[in-house]
Amino acid sequence: MGRNAFVPSLFGAIVFLLFSAAGVLSIHAGKEIAWEEARQFWSFQPPRPVPLPEVQRQSWPQKDLDRFILRKLEDAGLDPETEAGRGTLIRRLSFDLTGLPPAVEEVEEFLSSKDPRSYETLVDRLLARPQFGERLASMWLPVMRYAEDQAHQVGNNSKFFYPHAHQYRRWVIDAFNRDLAFDQFVRLQLAADHYGEEDLAALGFIGLGPQYYNRNRLDVQAEEWEDRVDTVTRGFLGLTVACARCHDHFYDPITTEDYHAMAGIFASVSMDSRKVGDRTFHIVKDSKVQDLNVFVRGNVEEKGEVVSRGFLRVLSSGQERQVFKEGSGRRELAEAIVAPGNPLTSRVMVNRLWGEIFGVPLVKSASNFGSTGDRPSHPGLLDYLAVKFREEGWSIKALVRELVLSATYRQAPTRRKENTLLAGMNRRRLSAEMLRDAMLVVSGELESADPGGASLKVGDKNNLRRTVYARISRKELDSFLRQFDYPDANVHAGGRVVTTTPMQKLYLLNSPFVAARAVRLSGLDNELENEERIRRLFRKVLARDPSSSEVAGSLRYFEQAESNPDWAGFAQVLLCSNAFLYRD
Amino acid sequence: MIDSRYSGLSRREVLRQLAGGAGLLGLAGVVHKNAGTALGANPSLNLQGNLPARAKRVIFLFLNGGPSHVDTFDPKPALLKHEGEKPSEKLYREGKKGGFMPSPFKFSRHGESGLEFSESVPNLARLADDVCIVRSMHTDVPNHEPALLQMHTGVVQPTRPSLGSWALYGLGSENENLPGYVVLRPSPRTVVGPALWSNGFLPARYQATSIITRELEVSKLLPHIRNRSRDKDAQRRQLDLLGILNSEHLREREGDGELEAEIRAMETAYTMQMEATEALDLSGESESTREMYGSSRFANSCLLARRLAERGVRFTTVYYTNDNNNQPWDTHKNHNEGHKGLCADADQAAAALIADLKQRGLLEDTLVIFGGEFGRTPFAEQKKDSKPGRDHHSTAFSYLLAGGGVKGGLVYGSSDEFGMRAQENPMHVHDFHATVLHLLGIDHEQLTYHYAGRDFRLTDVAGKVATGILQ
Repeated sequence: MGRNAFVPSLFGAIVFLLFSAAGVLSIHAGKEIAWEEARQFWSFQPPRPVPLPEVQRQSWPQKDLDRFILRKLEDAGLDPETEAGRGTLIRRLSFDLTGLPPAVEEVEEFLSSKDPRSYETLVDRLLARPQFGERLASMWLPVMRYAEDQAHQVGNNSKFFYPHAHQYRRWVIDAFNRDLAFDQFVRLQLAADHYGEEDLAALGFIGLGPQYYNRNRLDVQAEEWEDRVDTVTRGFLGLTVACARCHDHFYDPITTEDYHAMAGIFASVSMDSRKVGDRTFHIVKDSKVQDLNVFVRGNVEEKGEVVSRGFLRVLSSGQERQVFKEGSGRRELAEAIVAPGNPLTSRVMVNRLWGEIFGVPLVKSASNFGSTGDRPSHPGLLDYLAVKFREEGWSIKALVRELVLSATYRQAPTRRKENTLLAGMNRRRLSAEMLRDAMLVVSGELESADPGGASLKVGDKNNLRRTVYARISRKELDSFLRQFDYPDANVHAGGRVVTTTPMQKLYLLNSPFVAARAVRLSGLDNELENEERIRRLFRKVLARDPSSSEVAGSLRYFEQAESNPDWAGFAQVLLCSNAFLYRD
Repeated sequence: MIDSRYSGLSRREVLRQLAGGAGLLGLAGVVHKNAGTALGANPSLNLQGNLPARAKRVIFLFLNGGPSHVDTFDPKPALLKHEGEKPSEKLYREGKKGGFMPSPFKFSRHGESGLEFSESVPNLARLADDVCIVRSMHTDVPNHEPALLQMHTGVVQPTRPSLGSWALYGLGSENENLPGYVVLRPSPRTVVGPALWSNGFLPARYQATSIITRELEVSKLLPHIRNRSRDKDAQRRQLDLLGILNSEHLREREGDGELEAEIRAMETAYTMQMEATEALDLSGESESTREMYGSSRFANSCLLARRLAERGVRFTTVYYTNDNNNQPWDTHKNHNEGHKGLCADADQAAAALIADLKQRGLLEDTLVIFGGEFGRTPFAEQKKDSKPGRDHHSTAFSYLLAGGGVKGGLVYGSSDEFGMRAQENPMHVHDFHATVLHLLGIDHEQLTYHYAGRDFRLTDVAGKVATGILQ
């Protein structure tokens, strides 16, 4: 949010204009917040164990979560979709759990298996792969605005860049793979130095934050603190606390004192690099501890009262704001975020994972659980999962397993335009990372082992690694990533917008990257007769056999230019096809 | 594509055409004259005859950071008389703020209409009789992000569709071989970024195509615009095969708008290779034209905007940014010097664009808009280590409009004696949006989209057309 003043009366009018229709009630009765009333808002109420809904179709649910989905469908007079075909399921599962398409042999094995537990076996196999961590890192890195440079660079000065950022990324991938409990995942990223020496890399969560031009100036430092507060609160709590930097939050019970209590934590740390053995980590460390004055209307030259470092009052257990005393307060902040009484943390993470697996989160505004955010489509389900997640030890793998074993997940794709109730699965386009990785997999070129070490640019023609290992820039995001909706790395991203543009198609048609994959594919099986070779390529690229009309169309394609059969051109068509770009 | 609604063909027929290789080529290049029947327009609006369309297209020259109204189009002699005095009213706050700061730029009258311009915009001044100055603009929040969002989408928070997307949704494209909505950005960094040209909840086909204009070579403007190994015939054969695969895929997934959008985007991309290459190639422009616009990135972007308008692009936004500054007009310090330099560039290019459109007979149906997210304070912002600046100012600022059915030689609305607040005929952002849509032949109250349980409008529940500026 900009740092300037605003006009309360005018803004108030707009608040009314914009939000009265949406039923948003002002919690600011006059100046003082009515705290007890404010805590009645749904997301500030602790998630409670919810009785499982009664349903008509007793045989449909595979998991308890299915009852919540089915009950809403039945109440709306809708039927769930039938179970998706096994070919669809294995492709869906492979992308959702590993970010990669299934291998041809895996598909064949799965399709021919007579084992009634083959689906569960497949799920467990995929969850155990190292690619699972890479897949979830693709979700997490934009949440914490991962990048290896800065938006501002003076001349060639790169002293604020992060050449060892990959150590943090490695840590995140490992954390998902070893199923590090999510509460510990939070603690270590905010305060690993308080919990031992092993996980210092985790401090990249703050340690890789943006550093702005002229950063010794107080107003610029204030901008950096805002980034830290914003990333922590939207990322872990689903609250837009940074809105309260210049003024009490207009819609949520978050005061400018709350903001400054949190900003004080980050005003008390400094960015550092720590060398341990042959590894270097970009970390934060406590420096001179300071409580901030409230900067009136965000103006650092207008100092108001001093606010002790601490937590948000609305989430503090007592009546008053919880105050932090230990160093900068990072450890206490982490503990407050994962504390049993915190109503948000578990819901927010469960919701993000739901969004990754089902395409649309239960609370569509995944990083805004405040009053301007969306309400959950299935409040009971969200609470059920949030309680389960916390009570069963914050295991991300267990949660993801639960989601993908559900009947809801196994449905055929929906035929409805509006699918909030999940009558069928959402069809989804591959993300930027999945798309690029999938091309490298089907052409047999993906360097699947973890490369370790520094990142390569996405556009580097020697870069055959998974996209999650690519260099991410704040200054200028790689054009492929930008075209295919990878979020801006300057700020926390609560999710991705999916756009469809002719520019994306120009990339598929004309980029050297796609051309190289197509050429590679065209070199395979070249001893076979045309028709068999066509079938092989379909299987390799689309994980299925072609239909008879697809074979006929493909043969016609080669008849048109018989003297010079363009197999690379044919392979490219498969790589451009909607069947490749989407997963059902 | 494959939207039977636009052509009277059934979807099956369109699909068959595509599968047979004709694809969109059969429809390509068809230019409908009437609003509401153009390709891709929203059919339920039935806008034809709704309102007479005066403008067919819009070019929005957007000055990021907020240009000063009292130094360009809104002379305030009272600022000199009361120089240094601190405003008494609420808008003013103590602290770093200084007193009233008069403009160092001399104002004089121009043209038969006698419109007043400051000497910082001499080229626009020469077009006095062709332009309308709105001096009573106002917006809700004097912070960049919300103000940018509001000027683009009507709402201070992100995720709503932009004005350009609404216009495209209402009118469709005039030329399916080019994107209907283009944003030209001299630098990749833009405050707020893609949310400013987002299609929001409108279907993906109404989104903008963003072009970075840092380097003018066509393959740099539009990456991957050329194929290095296949000629057009070979590529057409690929697309015909792709059409067969995609239509079979779609047949089993009837009604999936996203898949249809993908098919459509691919066909557009194919034809774009030819059309866009030609449209974005400035090498054919005469020496005198290039000189008239100037040589800055903004100038080149303005010239590109004219070429796009000529070829039927419905809505083009040119941003004024550069690599060092993503909001150059945000002159918090050294305002007078900064403003002068910015104007030298922007004034020449904007005036050249308007004059060029006029000379080509395009101005009458092309609306040109020149303005930013807000204005700047009539009082100084004091800085310790530099000359004073002007701060953000949302309660009164000026916009310049030209062409597209807007009266020339007109001053519309006013701000108060000091330029602090809009006074006569205040034009809120919603009113501005309503007026732009009106000029395009769209009733802003009828341009709705049903989403998340209710009908949304660009202008929400507000918006009044400023009939006083209509020809």
